[in-house]
Amino acid sequence: SSVKLLLVSLLSSEARNFGSMLVALGYIYPLQDHKRLVIKPDASLYRFQTPYFWPTQQWPVEDTDYAIYLAKRNIRKKGILELHEQEHYNRLHKWMNHKWDFIVMQAKEQYRAAKERKKPDRVVFECQERAYWVVHRPPPGTVSAMDYGLDRRIDPNTVEVTGESLCDLFKYNSCQSCLPSNPWLTDDATYWTLNMPNVEIPTKMRVERWTFSFGELLSDPRGRNDFRLFLKKEFSGENLAFWESCEDLKWGTAATMREKAEQIYKTFLARGAPRWINIDGKTMEVTVKGLKHPHRYVLDAAQTHIYMLMKKDSYGRYMKSPVFKETTKKAICPEEHKFSDNQLEQNARNRRPSLSPIILRQMEEEQKAKMAANVDITQLCRFTTPVPHLAVYSGISDFPSATASPSLPFLAHTPACPSPISVALDSTSASERRVEASEGEGEGNPAARGPVGGNVSRSRMALSLRRLLKRGCTPSTMFASLSPKCHSAAGTSSRIQPISPNQPSQAPPRRIANFFQIKVDIPPECRIYPIESEDEEEENRAASRGGVGAKEIICPWESLTPQNGTG
Amino acid sequence: MGKEECKTMLDALNKVTACYRHLVIALGSTSDSQNLREELKRTRKKAQELAVANRTKLTSLLKDKTITKEDRAEYERLWVLFSSSMELLEVDMKRSLEIGQDFPLKVPTRHLIQTGMTGSTTTVAARAMSVQNMKYEADSNIDTADLRDLQSEISQVTQMMEEMEMKVQVAPWAVEAKQEAGAELKSNMSVGNSSVGVISICEEEPKEEEGGGGSRDPGFASICAVLVFFVIVTVAVVLGYLVVNMS
Repeated sequence: SSVKLLLVSLLSSEARNFGSMLVALGYIYPLQDHKRLVIKPDASLYRFQTPYFWPTQQWPVEDTDYAIYLAKRNIRKKGILELHEQEHYNRLHKWMNHKWDFIVMQAKEQYRAAKERKKPDRVVFECQERAYWVVHRPPPGTVSAMDYGLDRRIDPNTVEVTGESLCDLFKYNSCQSCLPSNPWLTDDATYWTLNMPNVEIPTKMRVERWTFSFGELLSDPRGRNDFRLFLKKEFSGENLAFWESCEDLKWGTAATMREKAEQIYKTFLARGAPRWINIDGKTMEVTVKGLKHPHRYVLDAAQTHIYMLMKKDSYGRYMKSPVFKETTKKAICPEEHKFSDNQLEQNARNRRPSLSPIILRQMEEEQKAKMAANVDITQLCRFTTPVPHLAVYSGISDFPSATASPSLPFLAHTPACPSPISVALDSTSASERRVEASEGEGEGNPAARGPVGGNVSRSRMALSLRRLLKRGCTPSTMFASLSPKCHSAAGTSSRIQPISPNQPSQAPPRRIANFFQIKVDIPPECRIYPIESEDEEEENRAASRGGVGAKEIICPWESLTPQNGTG
Repeated sequence: MGKEECKTMLDALNKVTACYRHLVIALGSTSDSQNLREELKRTRKKAQELAVANRTKLTSLLKDKTITKEDRAEYERLWVLFSSSMELLEVDMKRSLEIGQDFPLKVPTRHLIQTGMTGSTTTVAARAMSVQNMKYEADSNIDTADLRDLQSEISQVTQMMEEMEMKVQVAPWAVEAKQEAGAELKSNMSVGNSSVGVISICEEEPKEEEGGGGSRDPGFASICAVLVFFVIVTVAVVLGYLVVNMS
């Protein structure tokens, strides 16, 4: 491989980067301060390394050679080695003991051979060797360029060290415009402190990044916080919350996925959900269908839709908002550090480890919990526009009916919560039963379906059934609409059944009373979805019966343990 | 006796290997020159001669079934010394081939790395060849011609080492070194006193090394000084007493 020196007529920072690469890999070495393989922006001297000690050919760096070098150094320093060298020496003496005679012999002979040369050349030779070993056996507290770690991209079997891999090795050198200073070079961690994920006052450069694209804004935690604040003021925080929940689902552990998906459905997707998001019918259809068998990416379509919504709509307004203007105004632009050599030495001495990742994670979790507790239900039914395919939303149907007109009776403040996920348990049988049920009174197999109301519900159901049959709706969609009515049957406990087949058939009385109650402060006459005029009377009746005020969503599929009250 | 001869030859091989490495390190730098290439060639050839001689001797010694157990252990130790030297030599030969190819000398503009070395390596080569002064007689195209030779020599050496592995059953890890840690600080370390035309270098190592261990020396010297002092004081006291008695 021929030696190619890239002639770079670039910005000085680029040149400095390249120089840093060269010195860290050992192509050149500093004459003073030989342990710190950095390029200093002063008049310090560097020398080219001889090709034998280049890393280009990736010749293996043998411990035998290192042992010989340490033995030579021992001779030269008359027994006084540095601490880490001593440790290496002892370790190698132990593990390479069988070769030790050879090592001592070679060390002596190499030492004598070097002495044959003139003094200046001998000094150069020693410097070369020392620089080589600083690269390949770095002293403690220094960064080694040879430590690829997880960023390694080159195939260990290839011979070439490509430019690309060299660049990868130096990711830490890539913050070209680090203000106040690049911590890797000056050992001063201000840059990192100022750019922590959730710092109060971001830097100007960081805020500028948010203007590049929506993705940039979202991927920066501080940016996202700001955006969240803005959305809160606009009462459209649920979009971001939904997006975040989707991310959480995607990246979370498989064990929690089902639970999370249910939670998301209850909070964002279900009819009358406290933080209902506005996505188009087709997407909702697809999502709800997918939720029957939830997997990590089940919410992708909805998430993308919401993302695009935020990007096209909210993001633009955010950029012009007072929140953003305020943040930009307060953003700081730190002055560049100018450290003297002594100060640099001091910085190197005062290096301290940063916060443990465990603690950082705890702090993150705490913050998340705090945010979750502060969730404001921005969903005021006044502001939501109904979407045509209401029938589909219940999620129990295998074949969402596009033909169903949005005429199903529905109580304003009783959201349907049959979780599509749990319904999937016996969906096929359920649908069959539903078909049968449609013939007669049937509220269906209690175990298969959501809670079915009592007598009142049954009569209501019958009413709806007849109506639907007239209109030619599929019974399943009809059936879906019946579920919310259950709550009105306060007192008729016996019919309320959970979806899960393992549940006891008898629900505790307390359950019934709370069943399908929402914690929403909305007046009973407020309606989210269009309601048929014929049903209004029923609605009102139900509303008055159901009780107004703080209600909380409980999902019927949850296990009925005495302490289990909230949905 | 066979053992002594062996040790002497091993010493020589060891020395030549060390010098060869030093020369290879100078390749491609400002010390590089036609002379260096010739030095490399001749040193290399000498190393190979010694290698063959050593191998023959050692294999014959090891094959001898009548040797005692201690002898066998010693020969195995010598064998490990020998094979380690050979490993180093082989590696350096391969590296010199690569660097030699990368840094041709017979070009309009030589691109040698400015390493800061200005002098030549002739003294090192002289040490390797056990001569007073090197005489250079090679052609001007030695850099390319030699590379071809080098390639074939490398394959020879590799082959030899493979044969060694196969034929001689010595477990290197079972060998116990005679030298303890820090042995390099003592002089006269060599396996045996090599007398095969070696230039006797004046031991430039400081006297302290012969004392054995750097940290011990100051103490030792001071104890000697104190003893001498007390001797003198005693003598003075005795003399004084005699003078007093006389008067």
